[in-house]
Amino acid sequence: MSDRMLTMAEAVREAMSIAFDERPEVFLLGEDVGIYGGAFGVSGDMYHRYGSERVLDTPIAELGIVGAAVGAALSGMRPIVEIQFSDFTAQAMDQIANQAAKIHFMLGGALHVPMVLRTPQGSGTGAAAQHSQNLEPWFASVPGLKVVVPSNPADAKGLLLASIDDPNPVIFLEHKLLYKIPGRDPVPEGSERIPLGVAKVVREGKDLTIVATGIMVNKSYEVCEKLAAEGISVTLIDPRTISPLDMQPVYESVEKTGRLMVVQEGPAHAGFINEVIAQMAGSSSFGSLIAPIKRLAGMNIPIPYAPQLEKAAVPQIEDIEAAAREIVKNWR
Amino acid sequence: MSANPLLMGHPLASTENARHALLYMCRIRKFEEAVEDLFGRGMMHGTMHLSIGQEASPTGMCMALTIQDQITSTHRGHGHCIAKGADLTRMIAELLGKEIGYCGGRGGSMHIADVDTGNLGANGVVGGGIPIAAGAALASKMMKKGTVAVSFFGDGAMNEGAFHEAANLAAIWNLPMILFCENNKYGMSSSTEKAFAIDNLADRGKGYGIPGINVNGNDVVEVYEAAQIAVDRAKKGDGPTLIIAETYRWKGHSRSDKNLYRTKEEIEEWRLLDPIPKFIARAIKEKKLTQEQCDAIQQEATDAIVAAVNEAVKAKAADPAGLLDAVFKKVSA
Amino acid sequence: MSFKYPVVMPKMSMTMETGELLLFHVKVGDQVKSGDVLFEVMTDKIDMEVEAPADGVIESLVGNPGDVIEIGKPVLIMLTETEVMAFDFGGDSAAPVAEPVAPVVAAPVVVEPVVTAPVVQQVAPTPPPVAQPVAPVAAAPIIVNTSVKAVPKARVEAANRGIDLRTVHPTGPDRTITFSDVNSAQVDPAVLKRQAANKALIAKGIEMTRGIAQASFNRRANANFDHAQLISAWAKVLRGRPDLAVHQHVGVSLIIESKYGSALPVFRDPDLVSVDQLRTLVASTTEAAKNGKVPIAMLSGGTTTIFDLTTYSMSSATPLLFPNQVTSLTIGYDSESTKNISLTIDLNFCDFYDGALLLDALIASL
Repeated sequence: MSDRMLTMAEAVREAMSIAFDERPEVFLLGEDVGIYGGAFGVSGDMYHRYGSERVLDTPIAELGIVGAAVGAALSGMRPIVEIQFSDFTAQAMDQIANQAAKIHFMLGGALHVPMVLRTPQGSGTGAAAQHSQNLEPWFASVPGLKVVVPSNPADAKGLLLASIDDPNPVIFLEHKLLYKIPGRDPVPEGSERIPLGVAKVVREGKDLTIVATGIMVNKSYEVCEKLAAEGISVTLIDPRTISPLDMQPVYESVEKTGRLMVVQEGPAHAGFINEVIAQMAGSSSFGSLIAPIKRLAGMNIPIPYAPQLEKAAVPQIEDIEAAAREIVKNWR
Repeated sequence: MSANPLLMGHPLASTENARHALLYMCRIRKFEEAVEDLFGRGMMHGTMHLSIGQEASPTGMCMALTIQDQITSTHRGHGHCIAKGADLTRMIAELLGKEIGYCGGRGGSMHIADVDTGNLGANGVVGGGIPIAAGAALASKMMKKGTVAVSFFGDGAMNEGAFHEAANLAAIWNLPMILFCENNKYGMSSSTEKAFAIDNLADRGKGYGIPGINVNGNDVVEVYEAAQIAVDRAKKGDGPTLIIAETYRWKGHSRSDKNLYRTKEEIEEWRLLDPIPKFIARAIKEKKLTQEQCDAIQQEATDAIVAAVNEAVKAKAADPAGLLDAVFKKVSA
Repeated sequence: MSFKYPVVMPKMSMTMETGELLLFHVKVGDQVKSGDVLFEVMTDKIDMEVEAPADGVIESLVGNPGDVIEIGKPVLIMLTETEVMAFDFGGDSAAPVAEPVAPVVAAPVVVEPVVTAPVVQQVAPTPPPVAQPVAPVAAAPIIVNTSVKAVPKARVEAANRGIDLRTVHPTGPDRTITFSDVNSAQVDPAVLKRQAANKALIAKGIEMTRGIAQASFNRRANANFDHAQLISAWAKVLRGRPDLAVHQHVGVSLIIESKYGSALPVFRDPDLVSVDQLRTLVASTTEAAKNGKVPIAMLSGGTTTIFDLTTYSMSSATPLLFPNQVTSLTIGYDSESTKNISLTIDLNFCDFYDGALLLDALIASL
């Protein structure tokens, strides 16, 4: 067992490096991924280790970059595209949603697009509305894309390796606040993959089930610890990949706890987490609920700039804690 | 594998080459006519974009390509497919929504791809294929495949950001790519005069630092010659080329087009510039083909299309049962 | 002609299946008058005196004190000159038919027995003076459980255990029944049985009422009337229209929900006493009915029915016409100061115009 505590940026870099070493067809392209080391330092020294051909700096041309990755993926390469901020995927949406996602299906399976699009997302950096969104519902609503939302370095490493292996386009959404924070768990050495489509039960409890994505897993975890000290035990589930979505552990847990709370940073309206609620409502586990399902999500507003406003726009630890207490207290 | 492997070389280099050029132009013409007929009979779903009148451009371009060289195509893509060597029966079958169609009925007219002939697919989005071709060229360069990637697109696509971004990437990365514009004068109803502030579309190449060549897109010989120059440049590592092939679509943009934006006289003028008789005259003059041979080739093309339609019509309709499984490629263990 | 009249173990609650015969008040050969106490029975909930449904002579005693007798089975047989017809909604199949006698079930709490010669029979081609074992009609309109807020698991649990969610006290936010509310709720076997009985009853009611053409009229009225005033006023209105009546008297049946089922005590000719007198009677009868006791004399003779939904905070419900009744009234909540009054009529007996006039007259007199 390793005790290496890495940040998510380091873990992602390590996964990319392993893939680079394993497969010559893997390469990274994106704005400032080369000598600069990536806007958030994720590619780091890879430019020096693998050279300018495999760590390919691009002009600021998201549509062109993603399109080039699609074409390269169709032609035998396994590109990893880094889009500097997930918000900028809007520039590349034709290539993501109309091309990459649909080529395999439209062409009757003749071709496939083994491509990973990595991009940082989320609020908390004061970068305001065009640099802070959580866009997983955009991608999750397009059949043909797999969507991964890692919440910690160890998962990020295993999931990214599996994403690079995957013969389909994978959108890999990294929360930027997690880049610099070491995870709770050490990152294993080696190249073990974490299969896409398998949720992780982060901790088990009997009073409440929380399903959270991305950074909200970390915030929820802190709440779980605090409540555990008071005798309230919570099951925390991290879907890890939201397309495909693994609901089985959620059903099993809700059948034990009878209470479900879902947490995401992105806006509530038409957010991804609603899919969890919808699937629960349509399942036979619905009859196990002893409480209305609680949803905690961002406000339905663009992410504001000022720190107090930004904080107010998305669920904070205190919000999760209060909601968890309330649901356990009120519904017995 | 296609029944008709690509033949490379100058259309007038030999009788065989001349025969190939004529046969493929005629195949495209007859294919499009058959599609129009099937559509008219209500046997075809959706819409269609016919390339009648433009046959010389894909034929001339593809005679400069190996079967490994790649292309991306457009919504008006039947010609590119055929010129690159696709199987006619599977093409018709796709348009008829049959299981044996290139896409198993999932793509239809705008999404035919043929891996065996290096065709990365037609595209329903204007300009959608251009960055993809740049990526294919990037892969070729990285993998040292020695192949070239050609992106066919129309004049309309040249005003898309995708064209700009892809052209620039191809240029700065020196990619083995050919940006092949079939300038048929109209992006749907918008004439090039309305849509561009420059007279010569090839001038756009300068902006990216790549050569821009104008050719008569209705002359298969001229198209081939320009294409061969571009292919040679690409394969030598000298980077991309922009080719503007001036041509004209005789038919409307799609089935619903009433031709309100152009005159009958203009269409008639261009009909007189039909690339097929033009090439027949040249081939006979240069003694590569006789009139009898030309007649026989045209008949052969017609027969091939009729046979393809007959076979495709009989094929099994595409089955919805497998739809869910078709979204993702299976992850191999 | 005299009829053998089996006086059976009455069904005194929806849940009742058997009753224990406590003692006889009569012996063979006794001459009894309608209303005389014949015997006493005990059920899980109620002790009750069973009265003679008609004048007659005791022919035989069937059971013995201490016997547990199924509802509908005879306890004693009397001979009577009166033709009696009865309905039973719970244990109809159990009702013994003693030839050539009209089978009668004394005192079903559920519904409306008895009337003199219903019009239906008068118009029948061959009207033999024989009562028929008659099919029933739904008793109380059912309040659907979705009117109660409960979490999903509470519903599942309530359904599994046969708990009526209306009987469960909600402790959750917004008066929602939580799982533990249901979990700690006492399962009342009586409620269970009542639910089962209600189901059968409703099915029969649907069968029975199919084919009756009815129409409803609805109007808002000031809410400042009580049950006595309403009953009295309605009886007066009906008395003014003898042409619409199937019966000689006016009997206003008031539906009272109790945990033992729906009781329908009948206030016979209530407009002939003072409203104050009536008020006293309504109050005592309502109280008794809630405790599962309705004087047997008040169990028959209804010619119209009143269902007051305001206690459920409901504004309207689909009304039902009981057999051989031409009208029914449904009182619903409208606002603090107003109520909805709906009148339902049987179009076989009156037309739309009559209906409108009746409702108009009622509201005018309130």
